[in-house]
Amino acid sequence: MNAVLAILMLLTGAYLVAVLEDWASTGRLRLAGPITSGLALLGRESIVPRQPDRIFFEVAPPLLLVAALLAAAVLPLSPNLIVADLATGALFVNAALAYVMVALLMAGWGPDGAYAMVGGFRFLGQLIAYSMLIVMPITAVAMRAESLFTTEVVESQAALPNAIYQPVGFVAFFVAAMAVAFLPPLDLPTAPGELAGGVMAEYTGWRLAVMRLARAVLVVTLAAAVSVFYLGGWLGPVLPPWAWSAIKTLLVAATMLLAGRYVPRLRETHVLEWGWKIGIPLALLNIFYVGVLLLVV
Amino acid sequence: MLQAIFTGFFGLAAIWFAVVVFRTSSMVRSALALLFSQAAIGGMFLAMQTEFLGVLQIMMMATEMAIMAIFMVMYMMDPGGLGGMDMTHQKRASQVAGALGALAALAVAFLTGWGPIAGEVRPAEQVYGLGIEIMERSMLIFETAGVTILTAMIAATAIAIKRRGSK
Repeated sequence: MNAVLAILMLLTGAYLVAVLEDWASTGRLRLAGPITSGLALLGRESIVPRQPDRIFFEVAPPLLLVAALLAAAVLPLSPNLIVADLATGALFVNAALAYVMVALLMAGWGPDGAYAMVGGFRFLGQLIAYSMLIVMPITAVAMRAESLFTTEVVESQAALPNAIYQPVGFVAFFVAAMAVAFLPPLDLPTAPGELAGGVMAEYTGWRLAVMRLARAVLVVTLAAAVSVFYLGGWLGPVLPPWAWSAIKTLLVAATMLLAGRYVPRLRETHVLEWGWKIGIPLALLNIFYVGVLLLVV
Repeated sequence: MLQAIFTGFFGLAAIWFAVVVFRTSSMVRSALALLFSQAAIGGMFLAMQTEFLGVLQIMMMATEMAIMAIFMVMYMMDPGGLGGMDMTHQKRASQVAGALGALAALAVAFLTGWGPIAGEVRPAEQVYGLGIEIMERSMLIFETAGVTILTAMIAATAIAIKRRGSK
């Protein structure tokens, strides 16, 4: 029951994200947009490029979807509405998100296309720059909750959400989440206009539809992760818990998408350099800062 | 029973993917086959109810094996495996070594007295127990290993950087 509800919420979220993304990139608000373009994709031929690595080419889109769904499975919508409340929940989110990179590497290598391959290896090359900014801030969050249960992480923020308690970690995680979902201005593996779609360039028809759906679900999942780890998840006055979760998740997703409308795409070298030289030291400092706060205050 | 079936299933998957590593000539396929072999071992950990180790294994291997893929593509002459490259050599010696190694592993598995089987420990307690272990008894080991790796990283970077003044 929980799983069905969670999938329904995720699909609704993915639909809203698709509408928002369309609006953020074209400036037009079309409510039927995702549905018509989805149907159009399903109606088109799905071309397999010449000499592909067939296994990778076919596995990449579903793997991206599965990775996003698995990460979403451990994020609570309300105290009882969670698919799997694992004792290693906060770590599990990292584990599932690591396979986003594996899926994009496959999608890059599989089709035997230059743009796709550059996109895939670019995402892999950036790995440490963004994944450390996912792992280290979550460490500090788990330190405060003294637990890896995502539900206990939410409950630990009853007095003060982590976004205020550890703002540096919040910013680092937020930016890294945008990089994992390859949202503009960090859409380096797809980079329309430069790589002509990159890892998505060679996908057409229903395979592209699966890929786009997976990406939308991934954005919702990461927005939900930001909400659970930093904005107090379901906590809030008056409204029921699930409503707070939904509102916070959608607001985070909207902020992520809006950023792409106003900030130009960053250069690959800059992302790498800033991630390593600024991001990682700040994330380490954040762990130290939270440790001091926990021991002293 | 179900636990034994799942453990066996993931074990066989791990072995199969390990075989695939050597059957393919594509470097990326080879690296990712190794990744799925290791992830299957993570699945074995999960089937054996060691949740933290399982999740950690599945997470770490995704990043490590993918990074390995970069280096394999960088350094191999034929990363796509389209040139009919053969990665095997010293076939007879490696067959003998493989068979002996497998026998030794089986002998260890069957001849060792494994002692009483530990009772079921809840995942949350496992996480707690691991934390205590790392921060108490094994702290020196982990700190030593960490500093050693850091030293190696800095040394490797220092070697890789061009010397000042040299062209």
